[in-house]
Amino acid sequence: MSDEDKPHLNLALIGHVDHGKSTLVGRLLYETGNVPEHVIEEYKKEAEEKGKSTFEFAWVMDELSEERERGLTIDIAHKRFDTDSYYFTIVDCPGHRDFVKNMITGASQADAAVLVVDASEGVMPQTKEHVYLSKTLGIDQMIVAVNKMDKVDWDENKYEQVESEIDELLKRIGYKPGDIQYVPISALEGGNIAEPADTSPWYDGPNLLEELDNLKKPEEPVDLPLRIPIQDVYSISGIGTVPVGRVETGKIKPEEEVRFEPSGKTGEVKSIEMHHEEVPEAGPGDNIGFNIRGVGKDEIQRGDVAGHTDNPPTVVDEFTAQIIVLSHPSAITAGYTPVFHAHTSQVACTITEILQKKDPKTGEVKEENPDFIKQGDSAVVKVKPQRPLVIEKLKEIPQLGRFAIRDMGQTVATGAVMDLKEKE
Amino acid sequence: MGEVAAKIKVMPEGTDVNLDELEEEISDKIKDEQLKNIEREAVAFGLEALMLTVVVKDDEGGTDEIEEKLSEIEKVESVKVEDINRLM
Repeated sequence: MSDEDKPHLNLALIGHVDHGKSTLVGRLLYETGNVPEHVIEEYKKEAEEKGKSTFEFAWVMDELSEERERGLTIDIAHKRFDTDSYYFTIVDCPGHRDFVKNMITGASQADAAVLVVDASEGVMPQTKEHVYLSKTLGIDQMIVAVNKMDKVDWDENKYEQVESEIDELLKRIGYKPGDIQYVPISALEGGNIAEPADTSPWYDGPNLLEELDNLKKPEEPVDLPLRIPIQDVYSISGIGTVPVGRVETGKIKPEEEVRFEPSGKTGEVKSIEMHHEEVPEAGPGDNIGFNIRGVGKDEIQRGDVAGHTDNPPTVVDEFTAQIIVLSHPSAITAGYTPVFHAHTSQVACTITEILQKKDPKTGEVKEENPDFIKQGDSAVVKVKPQRPLVIEKLKEIPQLGRFAIRDMGQTVATGAVMDLKEKE
Repeated sequence: MGEVAAKIKVMPEGTDVNLDELEEEISDKIKDEQLKNIEREAVAFGLEALMLTVVVKDDEGGTDEIEEKLSEIEKVESVKVEDINRLM
């Protein structure tokens, strides 16, 4: 099968900053034949000259990062590889919280995560934060790569200790046992990545690439109702009104009736273009412009979402969400009105009620109806948009169920919609 | 802490915007060490987007400052971060 025939998964790499994420990215690309050929050739040449016989993976890592310094392989930012069943794009998550906004409104929303944990250090604060963030944002499948096993001499007891520590954390947060897998690995040496490590005879489970291949296929966004968040609207001479955006879910075809919400306008799709070519239909991930009859340029705008008239985008009166406060200088109380960023929309919304405060390290309810929440807290809140807003339940259309909360030039919090009340 | 590569899509105000000039203005506004690449991407009905590859330091956080600078440029309709990834 070619890449295009396989289902595509966005794979988030999460975990503490020093636990070996970069090395694991390099290792996955190397084992699947995705390190640029010239880098390998260069290595072979040098190894021969210096009379080295064993392969040194660290060299490849150095070379990749050196090349990047020189600006040669900027495309290494696109990290892709295949297994038998899937074609993966690695989303190597930045550490800084302000990037959360981009991860939510951008194209790379993750379908599954690999949590990288250093076997000698176990769970660290950032490990907990990333895990909780993943669960809140609806990443339900997780593979835990217990890394740097070489540093602990592939000690089975050490592995089991880290495994049970993480297992406890994940289950408390709400991960189902069947959705979590564990693999002892060494990204540096390569053990249990593509082949069993002879250093861990006690482990007879699948290696990391096999675990990735075993992931459950998430619901295909193409089977969900049509949703196209509108990025820009143009009036092009000789053509007419052309909204532009990325199809998040569903399919759109010419001659269909689509409705734009919250603007409430309906029109007929005359033609669809992608990369300047007319296409008979467009689906998830496609960046398109479509020519619409019966709607003027000034009647719709950025932040509108297009959907079919028989299943139009949901305009909410209010909604209930689970949020995590990432960064706030003081306390958040009922009445707080920051800007919510969801898909292409930015709308001021008031947190009208704080229903529950939860411990983000365990997911347990700490307080019902608390007076305030602070940085580091997780909470269930009621939200009232100040202007009409389209947003969907995470469980129904995940692509449109997430948001970032921004205030004072920072990403204050992030979250997802659990329940909502439609606007009448 | 490393660096982060962001793909930023800049849409012009219309099909009649001179993209060569727009590219120049972007190059003037964004620091060389941050702006790594500009490509054109055909969108639809004659509209073309500029796809920027920008590299920022992870610990400095976010792409806000760059997004703001780009939005201030005349003839720019919208600015959107399409993709974000840590560099190895």
